[in-house]
Amino acid sequence: MRMLSKIGRLLSLSLALGLVASPSAFAHHGWSWTEDEYSELEGTITQVYVGNPHATLEIDVDGENWRVELAPPSQTVRAGFSEDAAKPGDTVTAIGNLSLDQNERRMKAVRITVNGKTYDVYPNRVPSN
Amino acid sequence: MEFLQAIEQLAPIRALRISFYAYPLVNAAHVLAIGALVTSVTLMDLRILGFLTAQERRPFLKLMRRVGIAAFCGAAATGLLLFSVRASEYFFNPAFRLKMVLIALAGLNLLALRLFASGPGGMPRERSAVIFAGLSMVLWLGVLVCGRFIGFL
Repeated sequence: MRMLSKIGRLLSLSLALGLVASPSAFAHHGWSWTEDEYSELEGTITQVYVGNPHATLEIDVDGENWRVELAPPSQTVRAGFSEDAAKPGDTVTAIGNLSLDQNERRMKAVRITVNGKTYDVYPNRVPSN
Repeated sequence: MEFLQAIEQLAPIRALRISFYAYPLVNAAHVLAIGALVTSVTLMDLRILGFLTAQERRPFLKLMRRVGIAAFCGAAATGLLLFSVRASEYFFNPAFRLKMVLIALAGLNLLALRLFASGPGGMPRERSAVIFAGLSMVLWLGVLVCGRFIGFL
């Protein structure tokens, strides 16, 4: 019995440590890490990735590198976007939510426009004008 | 870098990258393997530390070792697949790098246990193995936490 309570204490200690250590771990899936309001970014694409766990664009905005996160690949492809739809050097306009962390240059996009075509990767989240 | 990009271009890896079912299933298998690994390692270490004395030492440690080795192989195989999907990105991820360092340290710790604190049949000794068991628990929990952080950096 005494042994059990020792182990119990040990387990609750490690659980508590885990929770303390991981506040920012409730991030990047979903929107908990982003601002509520929408922002717009315009830049030059430097890298296109359409794949698991989610698609991303690296874009250059006035000399700064931003990461624009899109949806998981199946959903991104369903929106019409693929690795063939954009290439480095193309100009992109992205609408979405910026990271709450101002030092982090990262956006979770709901809509991107490249080469005159608009892709709604999260159609139900695109803000109505 | 070229080697990492070559991995990404392998046909099965390309398929995994855009798959709807396979990637989450491999991911689930990785979580399962890590759960089994950390559980068996923790139980084994607790027994070496002198807890769980209701379990007969020798057969219990043998069983946990078998489960642990199988779980590690599963975690390594599924982990390699998850890594390959975006190898040239993950390779530079600080959480990924720390995780690999901690796995290497856990391996060295296991080697040291076998060399300096084990008796016949690779059974850890009652007293001298305690320090290695304690370190092992900390290291594997660290591996788990680092792994979770890879996706958030």
